[in-house]
Amino acid sequence: MFCEKAIELIRELHRMSDGQLPAFNEDGLRQVLQEMEALYDQNQSDVNEAKAEGRSDLIASIKLRHCCLLRNQRCVTAYLYDRLLRIRALRWEYGSVLPANVRFHMCAEEVQWFSQYKKSLASFMRSLGGGEGLDITQDMKPPKSLYIEVRCLKDHGEFEIDDGTVILLKKNSQHFLPRWKCEQLIRQGVLEHVMS
Amino acid sequence: MFITDIRKEFYDVVTNQRVALLVAADIDAVCACKILQVLFHCDQVQYTLVPVAGWQDLSTAFLEHKEQFQYFVLLNCGANVDLLEMLQPDDDSVFFICDTHRPVDVVNVYNDSQIKLLIKQDDDLGVPSYDEIFRDDEEDGDSGNESDEGSEPSGKRRRFEEGAVERRIERQRAKREWEGRRREILFDYEQYEYHGTSAAMMLFELAWVLTKDTKDMLWWAVIGLTDQWVHDKITHMKYVTDVATMQRHVSRHNHRNEDEENSLSIDCMRISFEYDLRLTLYQHWSLYESICNSCYTSCHFKLWTLNGQKKLQEFLADMGLPLKQVRQKFHSMDMAIKGNLRDVIEESSNKYGMKDIRVQTFGVHFGFKNRFLASDMVHATAALLESTEKDDSASDNFLKALDSLSRGNLDRLHLGIDLAKKKLMAIQQTVASCICTNLIVSQGPFLYCYLMEGTPDVKLFSKPMALILLCKYLLKAFVHSTRNKRCKLLPLVMAAPKDVEKGSVIVVGIPPESETSDKKNFFGRAFEKAAESTSSRTLHDHFDTSIIELKTEDRSKFLDALITLLS
Repeated sequence: MFCEKAIELIRELHRMSDGQLPAFNEDGLRQVLQEMEALYDQNQSDVNEAKAEGRSDLIASIKLRHCCLLRNQRCVTAYLYDRLLRIRALRWEYGSVLPANVRFHMCAEEVQWFSQYKKSLASFMRSLGGGEGLDITQDMKPPKSLYIEVRCLKDHGEFEIDDGTVILLKKNSQHFLPRWKCEQLIRQGVLEHVMS
Repeated sequence: MFITDIRKEFYDVVTNQRVALLVAADIDAVCACKILQVLFHCDQVQYTLVPVAGWQDLSTAFLEHKEQFQYFVLLNCGANVDLLEMLQPDDDSVFFICDTHRPVDVVNVYNDSQIKLLIKQDDDLGVPSYDEIFRDDEEDGDSGNESDEGSEPSGKRRRFEEGAVERRIERQRAKREWEGRRREILFDYEQYEYHGTSAAMMLFELAWVLTKDTKDMLWWAVIGLTDQWVHDKITHMKYVTDVATMQRHVSRHNHRNEDEENSLSIDCMRISFEYDLRLTLYQHWSLYESICNSCYTSCHFKLWTLNGQKKLQEFLADMGLPLKQVRQKFHSMDMAIKGNLRDVIEESSNKYGMKDIRVQTFGVHFGFKNRFLASDMVHATAALLESTEKDDSASDNFLKALDSLSRGNLDRLHLGIDLAKKKLMAIQQTVASCICTNLIVSQGPFLYCYLMEGTPDVKLFSKPMALILLCKYLLKAFVHSTRNKRCKLLPLVMAAPKDVEKGSVIVVGIPPESETSDKKNFFGRAFEKAAESTSSRTLHDHFDTSIIELKTEDRSKFLDALITLLS
């Protein structure tokens, strides 16, 4: 059946609906493109034949193949676009350096797109605040207090905060630290915000 | 040194600094920690909280954090040992110790620069005066003078020398006398171990002085005090005095809302003074189960005997409570019965010889469903703190117990209540089996009991607080069931397996059971001396010196040494 491969690609993304990025399915994409090429070639030859011999019974199959081609195109662009959206969300979640396992799942073009997105986001942030720059990826929700209480979930070693003091993050110790320093570590899962 | 003005000498000093909080693993410390955390949150004092379970944990935590912190606050640990010698800190580290363990080590009392004690100078401290223990050595300088008298005529010189020698002998004799007296004084001072005012109450006073006290903090202070009573750390007199102090605070907090009727929403927290029954967890259990599993009632009725069971049935019949009602969950009991339950029970218990079935305590009430007595919370949090689930380390349990005290974590509190019920039932069953099989043996100067490895629920008793609770219930039960008058006045030493792989047992000793007991425990020193004399492999890691860990093989020789020591 036509367009099965394209649906496979979409299903793969749909399975990981929580925003995770699966590996780039180069194989699947190539198969879809090959199918599209095959359909296009068949259509081309049928169109020529229909024109030359005036066979109007080929028009239906030409139309069918054309619809399949359009469907494949739509699926592939949806796949690529959804991946780009997920990669964009990663910048907001992880910061500008992505963990190695996530980068492994991106293809070369996506990596390039990511670095360009990073650049434009950085230049935008620099232009805010009257030329001083403002990091808008911090404080995604309005903060209630300057300092928050965090609990350490795994051993992370030493951690330096703005005034130069170093804190030892050992498992099951609790700390009362400035909010902006903790957000990164909370997202990474090293610290947990304790609400009492 | 003792701090006189807790606000100026402690709080103002740490307000702009970063502090390391080292907290021991008992409920009073957990409550004190919560109060201090809220105060620090108000004033945005950055801190790091590290739970410590024993002296080794304390040293490790100190070593890890000494580079980064100058100020350390120790809750319920550190007062009864020479801290500076144990930790060897730099000269600029300052320790604020809020500890209930007494006696306070004399070095900690007289050190002016690095150790600040957040302890009230009550009458019961009895610290020896400075001159009796410390003295500068000046007399060594005099012995050099004799060699300088070179050119004197020989007769005079001999007389002078004799005088000088006599004076030196006199000084040495005085010094030996002084040292002998000093040893005696220190021995008397450090012989008995006991507990002072709750740390949570001390920190609540700090909050009150800063006028930052809230009802939450008051409730935690009440829980800290009740913990001392439940685990039998303070005398009844002291408990009653402290309850009176707390009651003043409670009425002050409740007084604010008296002028407007019904002004507080039902979700607000209301603390009230209760003269309530001494039945553990009775509002979260059925009345019958609670009577069977509370130490006081179970020991008075002797519920491990058939006779005792019959007496219990009589007691319930006497009060007119149908068995069906009494076995139901307390919430579902008939309203008519619940109405004057306390008075009815008090009347009947007087007939059965239980004069103190009611005790002064506090209860809290917030929301439509949530009513807790202070002792309920203590049992729940203690069960969480010492839960024996497989993958939880001691610090995991500490954090869970810390969480359960917040009003938002009611499901954790209910989990704690369930664990506490299991623990109490296990304790009752163990007490019953120990008494029925005569596992308690009199060794002469004390009673001794050993829990074998195959005993059901023995894992629960590898934790110190649970084992101490078992000890106290067992001693009470024994006192009620034995006919030997001499044995009733003996203290109890109990051993239970702690770690089967490492082959160690945990040994605790508690003072004898009596109405007017002053709860002073001499087993700390006794255990130390016995271990030294037999060179047994012991670990004196716990902050209470009467709880030690011992290798199973050394058990018998340790016991023999203890018997000889105490006879």
